[in-house]
Amino acid sequence: MSTDEPSHSTEEPGHDHHEVAGPGYPTPAAMRTESEREKTAFVMAPRVGMDVDAPDFVGVVDVDPDSETYSELIDTIEMPNKGDELHHFGWNACSSSCHAEGLARDHLIVPGQRSSRIHILDATDPRDPSIEKVIEPEEVFEHDLSAPHTVHCVPGGKVVISMLGDANGDLPGGFLQLDQDDFSIDGHWEADRGEMEMNYDYWYQPRHNVMISTEWAAPRTYYPGFDLDDVEAGQYGDSIHIWDWETKEHQQTLTFGEEGLIPLEIRMPHDPEETQGYVGAALSSNILRFWEGRDGVWEWETVIDVEDREHPDWDMPVPGLVTDIVLSLDDQYLFFSNWLHGDMRMYDVSDFGNPRLVDRIWAGGNFGDRQEVQGTEIRGAPQMLQLSRDGKRVYWTTSLFSSWDNQFYPDIGSEGSVMLKADVYPDEGRMELDEDFLVDFGDAPGGPARAHEIRWPGGDCTSDVWQ
Amino acid sequence: MPHEVTLRWRDGREATIDVADGETVIDATERAGLGVPFGCLYGACGTCTGRLLSGDLVHIERTRGLKPRHRRDGYVLLCVAEPRSDCRIEVGAEIQADLVPNPWQ
Repeated sequence: MSTDEPSHSTEEPGHDHHEVAGPGYPTPAAMRTESEREKTAFVMAPRVGMDVDAPDFVGVVDVDPDSETYSELIDTIEMPNKGDELHHFGWNACSSSCHAEGLARDHLIVPGQRSSRIHILDATDPRDPSIEKVIEPEEVFEHDLSAPHTVHCVPGGKVVISMLGDANGDLPGGFLQLDQDDFSIDGHWEADRGEMEMNYDYWYQPRHNVMISTEWAAPRTYYPGFDLDDVEAGQYGDSIHIWDWETKEHQQTLTFGEEGLIPLEIRMPHDPEETQGYVGAALSSNILRFWEGRDGVWEWETVIDVEDREHPDWDMPVPGLVTDIVLSLDDQYLFFSNWLHGDMRMYDVSDFGNPRLVDRIWAGGNFGDRQEVQGTEIRGAPQMLQLSRDGKRVYWTTSLFSSWDNQFYPDIGSEGSVMLKADVYPDEGRMELDEDFLVDFGDAPGGPARAHEIRWPGGDCTSDVWQ
Repeated sequence: MPHEVTLRWRDGREATIDVADGETVIDATERAGLGVPFGCLYGACGTCTGRLLSGDLVHIERTRGLKPRHRRDGYVLLCVAEPRSDCRIEVGAEIQADLVPNPWQ
């Protein structure tokens, strides 16, 4: 049974304590052990901000080593408009809807970060997805929201998207809720956003009735590029927000200050019993751990501090810029990228409060020795990560965001970015760059593109939540 | 009355287009199939940044994506810009990159 066939993805995984099959897996271990190896990758491929007169696309990459087109871009689904900046995306359904009868993981929700346009793709055939519906920006602006980011399906037949700005690209942001059946807009998810103004990523742990959201900045602040003056003026985030998942009310703000500037990607363990997690603070280049303490009050501490590095040609010490983090499905390993340094790290997190660095790979970036794979220059550095369900392969792309690419890796803007892979040996706590794997988005049909978030049909380490 | 707008890319390419009344520069470049970059289309994101070399160009919405120093240096957001005279504008993906340099370099 291939997990590339979403309608069958739960027939096998021993769901005998429930009568109905749904679109996910009963437990994280079932997903890790009973799904097959990924054969297809969906990769967001924006062309925004390039001198390429073509729209962004969703790329389909062949990751089946037995296939003749392994490590190739086998399809590109171009968006109907230009200028979207496809960035993050998500599924209509995941393991959080495990018991929902008649529901399949067969639609991708693909927002445009700059355009605020939201595309719904029918991905029933993972090697031939098609655009089914487009929610135009005006419909989104009607709810005084813009800049869609993280997409999660949530129990109760809904899809919730974090929105970073209001209709003018200013603060506050919020959350847009879609109906899972027809992908119409319900309105705001949140009932009371309290003191939350900035938004970015979110994760939720329904068993503990909690949702936690992070902060980037107002779209008008981060859209044009990264300006340190804006950080000094307090225009960038340094906090995360604890929400009551049921009542949709803001409960608590955890403010990190200098320890946690620009807290972007947030992950909680896949184990639904857990009441802790990690957030990667991009600018401070720290990994922060947060947890629920006594009386339901959440607390935090810094558990990994990436040291700034002196660069011979640069005036100031350079932060790692932790832009993405991913937790393995068994919650034993944490991977994260240092987009300015150029390394991707693997930590043993079996003792969650005391992560232990076990390996790292240098590829591209400003400090790595390895600047080429298969004779192709690595434009950019490790950025968006995706781990295989079995935890044995990690893939990544090298572009961050069009205007930020222009500042730090301008070659991406003219030649596109790349997708790379490493083999992971969880039993040995190490990984190795797979030099046989390289997808050069500079060669994309219709012109070069930046490659961004990666997902597998059948779900992945950053898509699924358990009730 | 339409205005003649001459676009200049940094690689030396040039094109001249007519921009009609009530039309933004990006509306006109799209009509002409010139592929000048754009993003949000409401003046927040800066993807369509150009630099006005000569002429009278007005913004019809707030240019949230530009700081005062960018305005002073002649940078314009072409998705919300309408010419009021014939203009010459520097365009292309590289112009946006002028706005914010690498702060550590």
